[in-house]
Amino acid sequence: MAAAGILVMHLVRRPSLAGERGRNTKLWLLLGLGVFPITSAGTANIAGFKATQSREFCGSCHVMEPHAGDSNDPNSISLAAVHARNQTFGHDNCYACHKDYGMYGYVLTKMGGMRHVYLYLTEYHDMPLEESKHDIRILRPLPNANCMACHTTTAPRWLSIGDHASSLEAVRNGTVSCASAGCHGYAHPMTKLGKELDAGALQ
Amino acid sequence: MKLGAALARVKAIPSESLVRAACILGLVALPLMVGSVFVPTVWPVLVALSVGQALGTLSFVLYLVAIARDLDIVRRLRSPRRHEERH
Repeated sequence: MAAAGILVMHLVRRPSLAGERGRNTKLWLLLGLGVFPITSAGTANIAGFKATQSREFCGSCHVMEPHAGDSNDPNSISLAAVHARNQTFGHDNCYACHKDYGMYGYVLTKMGGMRHVYLYLTEYHDMPLEESKHDIRILRPLPNANCMACHTTTAPRWLSIGDHASSLEAVRNGTVSCASAGCHGYAHPMTKLGKELDAGALQ
Repeated sequence: MKLGAALARVKAIPSESLVRAACILGLVALPLMVGSVFVPTVWPVLVALSVGQALGTLSFVLYLVAIARDLDIVRRLRSPRRHEERH
């Protein structure tokens, strides 16, 4: 608001930029065009990036509605829905599971998000929901490392489960997925409704 | 050649006009950037992080160009000795 006030005042009054008064004008403009807007932009960026982590944001593209809807369903027992009911990160459960946990994870995740936006605008914007459920797939299988970011494989309680202990190395090196049919089930109920089932049916 | 012509055109614009343009761009950019805080949905956030940022940056750059020109920074950088002798 202060920045806008300074800019409006400058446009209305049109003070000279020359001389001693001009120096003051330039200092005011430094606040109005530099300091305040940069502060506002920084705040807006943080708020914007935070907003992009919410399930509401992820589900705002129609092709993600079934996934977000499942997470919102209090009766669903899918992995995504169970995680959505977690008080700590439930509101951001899409981001919590799909983000990149590497050193530059935040930036890489946001770059991946921009790719999603591009694909949505260029390919999926007009795609019917049934078709999108059938055709849209995660680019790479969800790495177990994302699960292990919270569920450590070194805890005695985790290791006390026979299936965990027997498949420890396979889980750690990713050859067995936590979110597979034989383990904890697919993350979303519509995960394998499309191409994979068609391919299986043809075999 | 095109870049040179563009620079020549910018040089021809008075500093007051540059600063006025910067103010107008800033006034357009500010609500675009801040709007996403109040309406954190897809389009406001995308517009804030792209168009809003671009316009805001452009307005600040125009202001800096005007100030640099007023301070005669380019000539000072090219001939620092001559400048020191003059003062």
